[in-house]
Amino acid sequence: MTGPAGAIVPGRGGPLRAVLAAFEAGAGSPAEIAARTGLDRAVVSAAVDHLVRTGRVRAERLASGCPEGGCHGCASVASAPGGTGPGGSGPACGSGHGTPADPSRRGPVLLTLARRSPD
Amino acid sequence: MSDSSTRASVASCHSDAAGPAAAAGAPVIALAGAPNVGKTTLFNALTGSHRQTGNWPGTSVAVGHGNWRPGGREVAVVDLPGSYSLDPLSPDEQLTRDLLVEVPPDRRPDLTVVVLDATALARGLYLLAQIRERPCRVVAALTMNDIAARHGIVLDLDRLAEAVTTPVVAVDPRRGTGLDRLAAAVVAGLDRPAQPPPQELPSCCHPVAPAPSPGPDDPGQAVDDPGPTVDDLDLADARFTWIDAAVAAAQQRQGRPLLTRSDRIDRVVTSPVGGALVFLAAMWLVFQTTTAVAAPLQRGLAGLLTGPVTSGVRWLLDLAGLGQGVAARFVIQGLLAGVGMLLTFVPLMALMFGLLAVLEDSGYLARAAVVTDRLMRRLGLPGRAFLPLVVGFGCNVPAVSGTRVLPDARHRLLTTLLVPFTSCSARLTVYVLVAGIFFPEHAGSVVFGLYLVSLLFVVVVGVGLRSTVLRAMPDEPLMIDLPPYHLPVPRLVLRAAWTRLRGFLSTASGLIVGTVALVWLLQAVPVSGNASFGEVPVQDSLYAATARTLSPVFTPAGFGDWHTTSALMTGFVAKEAVISTWAQTYAASQPPPAPGQAAAPGQAATPGAPDPAALGTAVRQHFTSSSGGHPAAAAWAFLVFLLAYTPCVATLAAQRREIGLRWTAFGIAGQLLTAWLVAVLVFQVGRLLT
Repeated sequence: MTGPAGAIVPGRGGPLRAVLAAFEAGAGSPAEIAARTGLDRAVVSAAVDHLVRTGRVRAERLASGCPEGGCHGCASVASAPGGTGPGGSGPACGSGHGTPADPSRRGPVLLTLARRSPD
Repeated sequence: MSDSSTRASVASCHSDAAGPAAAAGAPVIALAGAPNVGKTTLFNALTGSHRQTGNWPGTSVAVGHGNWRPGGREVAVVDLPGSYSLDPLSPDEQLTRDLLVEVPPDRRPDLTVVVLDATALARGLYLLAQIRERPCRVVAALTMNDIAARHGIVLDLDRLAEAVTTPVVAVDPRRGTGLDRLAAAVVAGLDRPAQPPPQELPSCCHPVAPAPSPGPDDPGQAVDDPGPTVDDLDLADARFTWIDAAVAAAQQRQGRPLLTRSDRIDRVVTSPVGGALVFLAAMWLVFQTTTAVAAPLQRGLAGLLTGPVTSGVRWLLDLAGLGQGVAARFVIQGLLAGVGMLLTFVPLMALMFGLLAVLEDSGYLARAAVVTDRLMRRLGLPGRAFLPLVVGFGCNVPAVSGTRVLPDARHRLLTTLLVPFTSCSARLTVYVLVAGIFFPEHAGSVVFGLYLVSLLFVVVVGVGLRSTVLRAMPDEPLMIDLPPYHLPVPRLVLRAAWTRLRGFLSTASGLIVGTVALVWLLQAVPVSGNASFGEVPVQDSLYAATARTLSPVFTPAGFGDWHTTSALMTGFVAKEAVISTWAQTYAASQPPPAPGQAAAPGQAATPGAPDPAALGTAVRQHFTSSSGGHPAAAAWAFLVFLLAYTPCVATLAAQRREIGLRWTAFGIAGQLLTAWLVAVLVFQVGRLLT
């Protein structure tokens, strides 16, 4: 990846590119990426977090029910304040935004490759 | 690093508030690190009472500053805002970058202590890598070592220090341990010249091509076509190469990758075959437990409504002089029978919602999502569609709205058409009632079987649509990052269960009351006989006549009886209405027993009261009659039809909003046709077997 005094060869594969390549090849979880790339799970996790932070990967929290505060999408949350949903501008039920690094999260995070426009 | 006047000016600008200031000429130490690594706890431990916090001048970013005396030498300490990297994405990170990078070298801190979380070492090393790309004095302080040890993470600090060419000190700021070693490392660091950057890291002055801006139409471009120049991904990749080597060095004595307890469980729970079996077993257990445990509670509640509540309401009506009038019949045969019967299911719903909340909070349902996702992708369905479909098992309305998370319009259309086939919790009450009537010994297994049928509908209809009207849909790579398993927290479980139960109660108190009133009104309008409005027997009412017109459609499915058809009609409004309508219809059909006589079979002891046993007997009699003596086959056919036909008007409204009227109409027609065909198939095959 790097040569003397920090020389970088563009496009040469390091851990980040290996993670992205495994992702694109269909790896469905960080554990699977670690298995495919041989990288440590902690490195894979940090790499995924970095890719989310830099916008190359999109992260959404998943929930099988309505989010805290509700989305006004159904009767169960009709009286909940601050929600959004059908007709609203916020995320719909069962989704939200978050990063895998959030230590408070108790649910899964869905990660997808971000779509980017050409330079 | 600088003269005393510079030191004083740096120290004094750390806050706009008055407070203890370091002596002129005192070196400045900056604490940097990601959020939640214990950086401020360390700052408090180092500075004790000699500290204060205030906004950095010209910003709203809070920065702590104070004095510390490592080895008897006074230094000023600055607690920088939490930052993951020196590529700022927030005002906090911008300030950290400004103070460590953007200001002239003579105004930067004399030494930076990078605080690293031992449980997430790789994540913290990125900031250290960026700081080390410039000549600087750095010490790494490793926190959370006790938690890391509990997770089985063992780090060799000497090897780590060698790999990152930086002194590394383990500290526990909460207990005050390791602070003397940190003090020694800081003093030693201050006394030596700035360290040159490691050769493995990119130069701080490397030209970087601008990162492409997010856009809608070029998936993965940054991965496939990085271009000829060095971009931000190249730089980050170089840092991660350095991080990977450091982590490998620090953990190299372990021999093989560390598997956490969650990893070991996931090897089974998310495996293709084992995961599916565990999922099925878990759901069977939920439904079996729900039906077995809730049955006595349901009977007790029904007894309460049948006895004291109904008697009390009758007494109140008599007291008000309304005991024999139309209003009394509406209250007793309408509201009490319809809504009351539905309310007997509250214990059952509460128990099931609670069990599902336990599964969710423990982290298991996330694993079930992985299993479901894998199945969908293998069938050629869009992987992300599993999310709204999972939501659909709670309620179809938010599930339809949840299709907005899908980026492709055809994915949204397909998923919106599939959501009604996911069996929402409103349908569960009908399953339990019918399964309890016809299969009392196996009610839990029958309900479980219906959820499997629901999954089958989703898969078969989904594959069918993808093969016909919605061909050539693109898919995108996706990944699910699972949380570790947790012991469920009772507070969170109860809150999740209550949120869903509140939805059930809200529907029962709003939409169902309205439906009950409408049904009662239709039952009060005579179309045959000589009875007047409100006095007509239900079989002579407009309600029964309408249902009779439609009921022949269901004769091939074995439930072509007007009582059943009428329940399906109101079930179009909401599935909870099926039970209330049945209870209301049968309550209105019952003449009161003569004084001194016991109630007849199928007749409630208190006429009009919500009696599940009486309702069950009556339903079974009509199914036996309409099916030609094959009530079990007709019951299965009815349940399958109920599962597959239009869920409720609220879902239709949501579908119309998301996919338009034409596709909503297509969906209604498809659901009705599918439901009818499968119900007929089930009955015709079932009656040959029973």
